[in-house]
Order: sequence, then structure tokens, then C-alpha cells
Amino acid sequence: MTDILDSIASAIGKLDSSQSAKALVTNALSQGLSPTEITEKGIRRGLEIVGEKYEANEYFLSELLYAGSLVSELFDLLKPSLKDSQLERKGTIVLGTVKGDIHDLGKNIFKMLADSSGFEVHDLGVDVEPAIFINEARQVHPQVLGLSALLTTALEEMRNTLNELRTAGVKTNLRVLLGGNAVKKEFGAEIGADATALDAVEGLEICKEWTKK
Amino acid sequence: MSTLRERFKAVMHFEKPDVLPWLENVYDETLVQWLGQGLPAERVTVIDWEMGRGGTALANMVTVKGFNPYPLFGCQSLYGSLLQVDIGPMPRFKQRLLKESDRHLEYITETGAVARRSKTGKYTWYSMPMFVEFPVKDRQTWYEYRERLNPEDPRRYPKDWDSEAYVKSYEAYQDGNTMMRFNGFYGFGAEIMGIPTFNLMFYRDPELIHDMIEYWEYFTVETIRSAVETLKDRIDVVYWWEDFADRHGPCISPKLFKEFLLPHYKRVIGFLAKNKIDRILMDSDGNINPILDLVVESGINGLWPLEVNSGMNAIEVRKKYGDKLFLIGNLDKSELAKGGQAMKKEVDSKVPVLKEMGGYMPGADHVIPVEMTLEKFKEYAEYIKPLLAY
Repeated sequence: MTDILDSIASAIGKLDSSQSAKALVTNALSQGLSPTEITEKGIRRGLEIVGEKYEANEYFLSELLYAGSLVSELFDLLKPSLKDSQLERKGTIVLGTVKGDIHDLGKNIFKMLADSSGFEVHDLGVDVEPAIFINEARQVHPQVLGLSALLTTALEEMRNTLNELRTAGVKTNLRVLLGGNAVKKEFGAEIGADATALDAVEGLEICKEWTKK
Repeated sequence: MSTLRERFKAVMHFEKPDVLPWLENVYDETLVQWLGQGLPAERVTVIDWEMGRGGTALANMVTVKGFNPYPLFGCQSLYGSLLQVDIGPMPRFKQRLLKESDRHLEYITETGAVARRSKTGKYTWYSMPMFVEFPVKDRQTWYEYRERLNPEDPRRYPKDWDSEAYVKSYEAYQDGNTMMRFNGFYGFGAEIMGIPTFNLMFYRDPELIHDMIEYWEYFTVETIRSAVETLKDRIDVVYWWEDFADRHGPCISPKLFKEFLLPHYKRVIGFLAKNKIDRILMDSDGNINPILDLVVESGINGLWPLEVNSGMNAIEVRKKYGDKLFLIGNLDKSELAKGGQAMKKEVDSKVPVLKEMGGYMPGADHVIPVEMTLEKFKEYAEYIKPLLAY
């Protein structure tokens, strides 16, 4: 039974064609494997392999994007037989590009990976006011709040958002992760963020670590 | 005493000049800010908006015309005398506003993309638009777009393009390098399709990518042919814009680079070499280390800006690649903008060592950002200038 799950993981890890990956998932369903099992031990394991290869400089952005689109197709295939409640969520992430910055390429890649890896992601979009982050944090009680910025001119807004979170009293219940091309780890430490990720895969690994049960 | 052009050419060829050229490229919006901070404005003729990069930038940007600020600081522009061959879509798309809110506006750019711009930011161009839609989405839209990429269109050259006059002016010019600039195979595709779609298509529709890159090679060579065959090595350097990396590494893997891009680089560079143009400078932000072996194999022999924040280190590149790559930049712009000890430490850690190694021209590791005040730039200028003479 696990052979087919290994094959699914391997197909994603090797970036096989969507046709062959879909055939494997269909096969797994016909063998009676549950969608939850296929998701956890097949698809998500495959995505982990892609992440490992990305970190090892074997895969790059193209590969990450293709893997993401492949996984999305496989989830579509599982959807009819998969109810959300069947899947265990790894944690909740609230995400957004800070006020004054309207760029979302890196944020969207992180969102795609986090979502596919089992996180519940609340994406607030771009140019997000601190008050919007605060309201969302109060409503959904995330473990992680992800702030993104591409422009160096938006860095001060990251600091401001973090200060507002503290003032509003919501910072104590969550961890703040910074990401985006403008951000250096030194800056993250300086403004008191809990971590800074230099790319989407590193960001995902940090979130997994923080939400380990 | 050598001219600025002679110095630039010497370093590109790993010869020792009398004084090392110090090269910068200041955002026009930074310049506008400096004008407000006391930079003499007498010679500014107009501040306008126009399409950049020979008609290929997807949005208009602010431009300060008739004003050369570089001599005021003792540096020279990275771009020198840029030959104006237009490689953009012709006819242009009609720029128009699509929608507007109190915070954003969205408009179609002259290259057919839909750009969203913030209305509330302190800066205009520098706050960079976010492109939310691109003119090329698939095969059909590529074929439609390709109709606008006719190399024979007479509008691609200046109206006063006259071989003899240009030959003379390119021989006489001494205030910096003479340069021809065009977009590379990755850069052009990412710009008309958007980074996610273009990157995805390497896997989803590789034949489309082959077709696009094949056409871009044809288009590039045929568009620049007249200039290249006329001016030959009076063009000191070709500037190849790619921007195919982020902090983690190149956007496409070495495997994809080798399969899709490398043969085309070699053919275009072969065409340039036949016309005695042998200095090819690639502009790519981000961490390009994983792909440098292939870049060198392609025939590209110069790099700018070598972004520190992405892990690029000119000293390491020099040690590994010797005289196969001349290098420009690599001074961390954010450290330079801090001024004082941070700026001095950054300059001291690179400039003296690389000066002795040769084939290096100092400068910030990208365009001078708006965070750099006029005062800090002057301080940086006064510090670096005494280090330049041999």
C-alpha cells in the first residue's frame, strides 16, 4: 500500500508530468487509500522532497512553482472525496504585505507552499494597515503572523506594524515572521521579529518548527 | 592622464588604468530628492516621465533630462553613452487608466501590462508598480505580441541615425564607455509574461519557451545588426539585462539554463564577436553563483551589480573565475547609505583588495536608492576618491 504513496511523493519530488502524477493519485484512490493518507504521506511528502532539493540548490524558483502547480492539480483531484475536517491543520498563519508596499510575488509563493503543506493561511493581500493585521489576529488566533516587503522604503512600516501589534496586546500570543527581498535577518532582530526568512522554503520550515506538536 | 573611457576600457580588459573608474547609477527619483537637498539644479532642463530601457520597461519612470550629476561627485555613470536602439513593442500599447481608488490606480502600460501603483507612497517611480497582468499568457497571446516585435520597423533607430555621424561621435566620445543595451532571454520573457508564468512554462509548455527564446535571438540580432555592423568595437561594451535571480539563487536551474538559454547566448555573442565587440556585461540582481559556470561558458565576461544582500562577493568571484569576468559594483548600498563607519568599513573591505586584483570597478551594488541622502553620498564620494588612483 505504501508503494503507491512513495511513488506519488517521488513523482512530485522528481517533477514528473501532471498526467503521470494524477494517474498515481487516481490509482491510490482506486486501491482504497484515504484522501487524508494520500495527502499526508504522498503529496505533502513530495513537496518536502522539493523543499529539500531547493535548499540543496538542486531546484530553484521554476521548480518550486511547477511543484506548487502540480500539487494544486492533485488536490483538485482529491477534493470531491476530501472534506476539510478530515485533514489535520498544522497551524494558522495570517499573512500580508505591509502598508506602503503592493508587491506580492514572494508572499504568494510562501502562501502556496504553506497552504499545500497543511497550514490554514489567511492572506490579507498587499498594502495592509496594521489595524487590519490586528483585527485578523484577534479573530483567527494565528500561531504565526507573516509580514512581507519588497521595497526597502517599506521596512519602517514593518517596524511600525510590529509596534502596533505590541501596543494592541496581540503580539504575546503569536510569533512574527518577516519575509521579502527588502528584509535582512539583522533588521528582523533589530525590530524584535521572532524570525526572518530569506526565502519561502526557509519561511515554511520556520513555521513548521514553531507549530510542531 | 587617461580619459574616463580609456580607464573603463582598460579595466574591462584587465589592464591597469592610472585611476580606477568609480561607477554609479543614481535613480532619477533619488536625484529629484537630492535637488531638494541642495544639489545645484541650474542645468536640469526638464523632469519628465518616459518609458525606460529602450522601450522595454513595463511602466513609465521619472527621468531628469539635460543634467549629468556624476562629475559633481567625481564618479561616472555606469551607462556612459547609450546607443538608442528601441527593442520595445511597436506599435506601443496605448497607456490608459483602468481603475482608481483612494489608495491605488491601475493602468495599461505602453508594453501592454496592467500595472498597479500606490497613490499614498512618498515616492512615485521608486515605489515600483506591481504588475497584475501581462500581455503574454499563452501561445496565442505570444503570437499576437510577436507581431509588435518586427526588427525591420524603422522606428527602432533614432530619426537622425546616420552611420558616418554616429561613427565619428562614437570615436570621439570620452566621458565614459559607449554601450549598447538589450534584454536577455530570461529578462524579456519574464517581463512580458510575468515571473511566475514564465518560470512555470519551462515545465508546462517548454516548446513555447523555446519558440519565444528562438524568436528573441532572431529579433535581437536583426534589430541591432545595423548598429553593430556599423560601429563595431566603437561599442565598448554590450549591457545584457537579465535579472534572473533572487536571494536564494537563479530563478531557473542550471539545467534549464543550459537547455533553453545557453545556445542562444553563444550565437548572439558569436555575432557580436565577429564584429569585434568582445565585452559583454550582464546585469542580474540576486544570487547568481550557482549559474556562473554557465554564464562564463556563454561568453558573458562582465557582471553588475553583485548584490551583497544576496550573498554575492566580488573577491570570491574574482578568486574563482580570475580574468574571465570583469566586475562592477558589490558595495552594499544599504551600508553606504548609513555613512560613517558602516560606509567606510564596506569600502575598505573591498576596494583596496579588488583594485590590486584588477578587472574591478567600484560602485554600489545596484542603483543608488532614495534612502541615500545627498549628504551621505558626498561623504561616500570623499572617502572613496582617494582610493582610486594607482
